[in-house]
Amino acid sequence: MTTQTAHARTARQRPPRRIMDARWSVLLGIVFVWCLAPFFWLVMTSFKRGDRALNDPDLFQGPFGLDNYIAVLGQGFLLNMRNSLVVATMTTVVCTIIGALAAYAIARLPLKRRVLWLSGVLAASLFPPVSLVPPLYEVWRSIGLLNTWEGLYVSYVSFSLPLTIFILTTFFAAIPSELEEAAKIDGATPLQAFRKVILPLAGPGLFSAAIITFVTSWNEFLLASTFAPRNAEVAQTVPVAIAAFTGAVEFQRPIGTITAASVMVTIPMVILALVLQRRIVSGLTAGAVKG
Amino acid sequence: MPNDTSTMHGGSARRSPEANSRLRAPARWRGISETALARLFLAPSITVMVLVVVFPILYALVTSLNAYTRRQREGFAGLDNYVEVLSSGVFWQALSFTAVFTVTSVGLEFIIGLGFALIMNRALRGRGIVRATILIPWIIPTVMAGQMWAFMFNITPGSINGLLGLGDFNWLGQSGWAAGTVIIADVWKTAPFAALLLLAGLQTIPSEMYESAKVDGATSIQRFWYITLPLLRPAILVALLFRTVDALRVYDLPEVMTGGAFGTESLSMLVQQYIVETPDPGVGSALSTLTFMLVLAIGVIFVRAIGSHLVFGERSR
Repeated sequence: MTTQTAHARTARQRPPRRIMDARWSVLLGIVFVWCLAPFFWLVMTSFKRGDRALNDPDLFQGPFGLDNYIAVLGQGFLLNMRNSLVVATMTTVVCTIIGALAAYAIARLPLKRRVLWLSGVLAASLFPPVSLVPPLYEVWRSIGLLNTWEGLYVSYVSFSLPLTIFILTTFFAAIPSELEEAAKIDGATPLQAFRKVILPLAGPGLFSAAIITFVTSWNEFLLASTFAPRNAEVAQTVPVAIAAFTGAVEFQRPIGTITAASVMVTIPMVILALVLQRRIVSGLTAGAVKG
Repeated sequence: MPNDTSTMHGGSARRSPEANSRLRAPARWRGISETALARLFLAPSITVMVLVVVFPILYALVTSLNAYTRRQREGFAGLDNYVEVLSSGVFWQALSFTAVFTVTSVGLEFIIGLGFALIMNRALRGRGIVRATILIPWIIPTVMAGQMWAFMFNITPGSINGLLGLGDFNWLGQSGWAAGTVIIADVWKTAPFAALLLLAGLQTIPSEMYESAKVDGATSIQRFWYITLPLLRPAILVALLFRTVDALRVYDLPEVMTGGAFGTESLSMLVQQYIVETPDPGVGSALSTLTFMLVLAIGVIFVRAIGSHLVFGERSR
């Protein structure tokens, strides 16, 4: 039945090029509005001064000024950004390295019950993070990891590992094994085959996994608010700081400061997305080798 | 593509002096067997996960079998905590919100995410801008996105009401609508992530398949239905798996937006409440263990559907 409909559709003419282009533009327009309208709201609100402007639904209702940004910087927000950056970077580096090793072992090396290993990794990741908090808190307190970067990124690494291992396992499995075998015939050790042949080919996969890890740990709130609730000088991260914001003036609703801080955090990430999107997405080499 | 392979061979030829110097590395690295290498490679991941995940799971399991009064252990309680959880109305309420939230938000995220992925995969001018735009909601921290949407839906300043001409409609202050706003915020925030997972799958579909289908006269809808969707199956299942288990454990978004009021308390929020606010770690741990088993059961269904051969190719059969 399905093949019949297929033939029927084949007979139909494709719409002319111009209509396709118009449809495409409309589609892109919708995508831009959906993704960017809230961001536009964020930017406009962040520049509003005083309660009257902030409580007005009209986005263009002034007065505008930098008050919210000054208030945010006065609350030590740059230190929070530093903490988030360090924690997210360390998580990404550690997680990608050890995740790549584990994924390669599961995908390629002679390992008994590889499916079981992968399922085990996945299963462990299904526990609700909320209930990891109390026991981990005790452990972290006893070994002095509370209010430290290490305390945060060690836990983030283990939360990000399952997805990283999963993405990279599928990725490594898609690289033709002939390449490794050829390397081994040329006298490469298993370690060399991994380092010189597989890793360079897995670059794009590693990159995607790394970006996902970075964003996930950059966004994390629950553990951060438990393990490093205060003190921007030490380890308090951006989401925790924002949740604790007060207004520019005491008792003012923190809508202005929250939006200003959000803009400050989002701008570097937007630049990052612009610079890296090609590398996140660009022609995954595994596919090129396969084709 | 032939270009890629040639640079690769060129690369390995150029690297050969370096590779020779590698051979002078300690003997144990040179001769290490593949089995030993597999164990060595798995060890760091397993260690971290045992410390941070497996230990707390066992801890929660033991805690859930004990009775507590004001955080003081009273003795072995058997399954009493589980009975208490299962017979409480709050649990079923949280479960039903979590279920509705998961099905709706993951469904919408999948459809929108697939659309995004197809757009991102298409070659056109300004592709970089389009891709970066689509990724923006995903890189805004969840807590911020939650607060942003809560402010936009709120009566003051009333931005969304102003836009839709709804006057003082109280989105966040009535049941049903409150859940809806949380779902909208989650879809906005997370659809790009689903898109990214799907895009990785789209990239592995060889373009030759589309070209030959085009030659055979297939329309774009047919190419989507008969090439893209079947070949994308593993990526779709992976995206659904990760989004579903994440949605089942949702915490940040309803916490920030509604604080769990008006029927928006999720299972994770309930766990948090019992473990941190109500001093009964026994019931809290029973709750989290139940949540875990629920998520695990759904995860197992997905892993079965994904099947090992889709991950490992023909080798695992």
